Amino acid sequence: MKRILLGTLFTVVSLNAMAQAPGGPNCGWGNMLFEGQRGTPAHFLASTTNGTSGNATFGMTSGTNGCTTKDALTYGGKSWIAMNGMMNELSEDMAKGNGEALTTYAVVLGVAPEDREHFAAVTHEHFQQIFSKADVTAEDVHSNTLAILKGDARLAKYATAA
Amino acid sequence: MLKRLAYLALCACAPLYAAPPIDDQRVQQLANDPFWISLGHYEAGKLSGWRSYVSDDKFFLAPDGAHHPYAELRATVEALYAPVSLGDKHPQCVYPARTRWLKAQLNLTDLPKAECAEFTQWFKDVAPHSTVMIFPAAYLNSPSSMFGHTLLRIDQADVQNNKTALLSYAINFGAYIEGSDNSILYAWKGLAGGYPGLFALVPYQEKLSEYRSLENRDLWEYRLNLTPEETQRMVEHVWELKQIQFDYFFFDENCSYRLLELLQVARPGLQLTSQFPLTAIPTDTVKAVKEAGLVESIEYRPSRERELLDRAKALDPEEQQWVLQVSADQAQLQNPAFKALPKERQALIIDAAYRIERYRANGLERDTARSQRSFELLRAINQNPASELQVEKPELPENGHESRTWQLGAGSRDDKAFAEYGLRMAYHDLNDNAPGFPLGAQIEILQLKLRQYEGNNWQVQQLDLANIRSLTPRNELLQPWSWQVGGGLERVLGKHGDENLVSHINGGAGGTWQLGENMLGFALGTLRVEHNNDFAAFVSPAAGFNTGLLWRNPVGNLSLEAKGDYFTNGEIRRSLSLNQQWEVSRNLGLRLTAQREFSKLTSPINEVMLELKWYHY
Repeated sequence: MKRILLGTLFTVVSLNAMAQAPGGPNCGWGNMLFEGQRGTPAHFLASTTNGTSGNATFGMTSGTNGCTTKDALTYGGKSWIAMNGMMNELSEDMAKGNGEALTTYAVVLGVAPEDREHFAAVTHEHFQQIFSKADVTAEDVHSNTLAILKGDARLAKYATAA
Repeated sequence: MLKRLAYLALCACAPLYAAPPIDDQRVQQLANDPFWISLGHYEAGKLSGWRSYVSDDKFFLAPDGAHHPYAELRATVEALYAPVSLGDKHPQCVYPARTRWLKAQLNLTDLPKAECAEFTQWFKDVAPHSTVMIFPAAYLNSPSSMFGHTLLRIDQADVQNNKTALLSYAINFGAYIEGSDNSILYAWKGLAGGYPGLFALVPYQEKLSEYRSLENRDLWEYRLNLTPEETQRMVEHVWELKQIQFDYFFFDENCSYRLLELLQVARPGLQLTSQFPLTAIPTDTVKAVKEAGLVESIEYRPSRERELLDRAKALDPEEQQWVLQVSADQAQLQNPAFKALPKERQALIIDAAYRIERYRANGLERDTARSQRSFELLRAINQNPASELQVEKPELPENGHESRTWQLGAGSRDDKAFAEYGLRMAYHDLNDNAPGFPLGAQIEILQLKLRQYEGNNWQVQQLDLANIRSLTPRNELLQPWSWQVGGGLERVLGKHGDENLVSHINGGAGGTWQLGENMLGFALGTLRVEHNNDFAAFVSPAAGFNTGLLWRNPVGNLSLEAKGDYFTNGEIRRSLSLNQQWEVSRNLGLRLTAQREFSKLTSPINEVMLELKWYHY
């Protein structure tokens, strides 16, 4: 058992092993809206051990669908791939026009504090263009957002920052 | 393995490196320093010497490092002088916290400069600045969650200004479970220590959706007053624990205990773990952290379920029906009757409909039709957003009563007086002091009650291994099942009015309804298997019922219960009981119990008891 365990745990993705595709070769683009969550066959028991099966990752590559969180993909110092796991929250916040995920999205896109309220208002107004269909992917959302920002005088500058 | 051999080799040929000679007395002194003890996760052995909680050889540089802080320190100092060509494998890179401390304590100015690319990149990515302790509170429908869990969130410098906690990382210690074990085995191994415990660093946002959405637990966030330097020291140490196995035991060597150890690394001099020699129940550890003056502020994140219920509370029954209709079929949004409702009521209905759709999708795979429904509802929300939902903060979980209970009772059974002495290791029953606990949840682990009757006749009255009840009210929108399960030894009515000690397992399922603001009614069907010396068969099964009322009143919780067990061998055992708790103070309660028992074997018997409950540690 121990050997299997160690085998699976030592999957620290080498940072040098990526390059070509944005986010690296193992990058699982397209986290969909309303994607299924990890099931809870043993929920009652999960809370007895506080264990998370198979989850002994150590940051960096976790939660990003295998995408590396390096260079070209960062805005404002943070990888917007991190938004991948927040698609549902983001869609809800944007529909309503406020919320933590929406603020986070603004920060990740490098929107300055004084423009964040405006950002929330604009994305709220254009929600239907940004979240254009039920199976929209994270990447669609990102590019749709940039397209909307480009059309707004005050926010256009954030659409070009890369 | 190779790695470990390499270290052994390092130790063996240590003199090859240019480690300066260090005064042995100084090494001795440092090896006993509480900080070094914390870094090695040592505990004083049962008889003498030391033992590390780390059960993983690769954590130690000295062959006997798990038991000898001194040898480990010596080996570490030597190893720090290893050639820098080792790169990321260099002990300086593997043990950044040890390195920093030893360098400062021993003034090691001539250390080789190892390039720790991997660690540096990781540390930069985590960018530790401040620490928040996270406590997912109990979830009613999962009494085992009453024990809670704790994890740490590591925030970057700008998190508070930007409100971007969603981008932070969480440090979680949990059992590492491989896929295939079934549930029962899983629980047993969790309790008994069959799984290794590991630290993981995961996006906080992942943990949030796990607890808030999947498990429906409220989250409490305790911002700690650790300085950036203290947070960084702790995170450096966490790197040393990467893929390092600990033993994991549910009651003591659990998440909360490990986190206390981390806090002691962050701020040397803190005395936290020593308060928990036997068990570390997460709420208790939260209390300890609070009492140590570490908590700066507290924030609350309601679970998705609580948000849904709060939203629904504002709706009348007719509006709740609209919620169900609109969530099932978005064409109803265009229904003239719906459109005739005031706009802000429509908004609330749509919002609740979306929430219930997402609630139902919980834990399920993506389903195209469902996604489409949710999406349509989102678009409707976008057109007519509801006012922001303000969920009222419940009582802080750490303000609940302590977890262990001593009980002292006096009563009379028919005409015999008795005294009763009890100890329950954990945690809470339906009547116990309520603040900080959800109404209708019970989890009792290991309870022993002894009785002393007149004439100094002693007997074991009850021994519960576990006794769990979950009474979650059903309503228009949500229809959870209520259930209970228990097992152990107890006294039941026997021939000639005797009390027979029987062993039993029982369980039940049914429903609970909210009868008033503070009142629940429940009805469950039950099954029971019993070993009773009065019965011919070795084990006898019974089917029955358990129904009652639970009322949270100003004095405390009152329960009124009727139970019946109909055995296949003809015995019928029923009881009526009334229990009223008087909440004297947070950790003191007085309970009056009156009970009438019926059996086919003998005439009915009455029992009354007044019991003092002291919730202590």
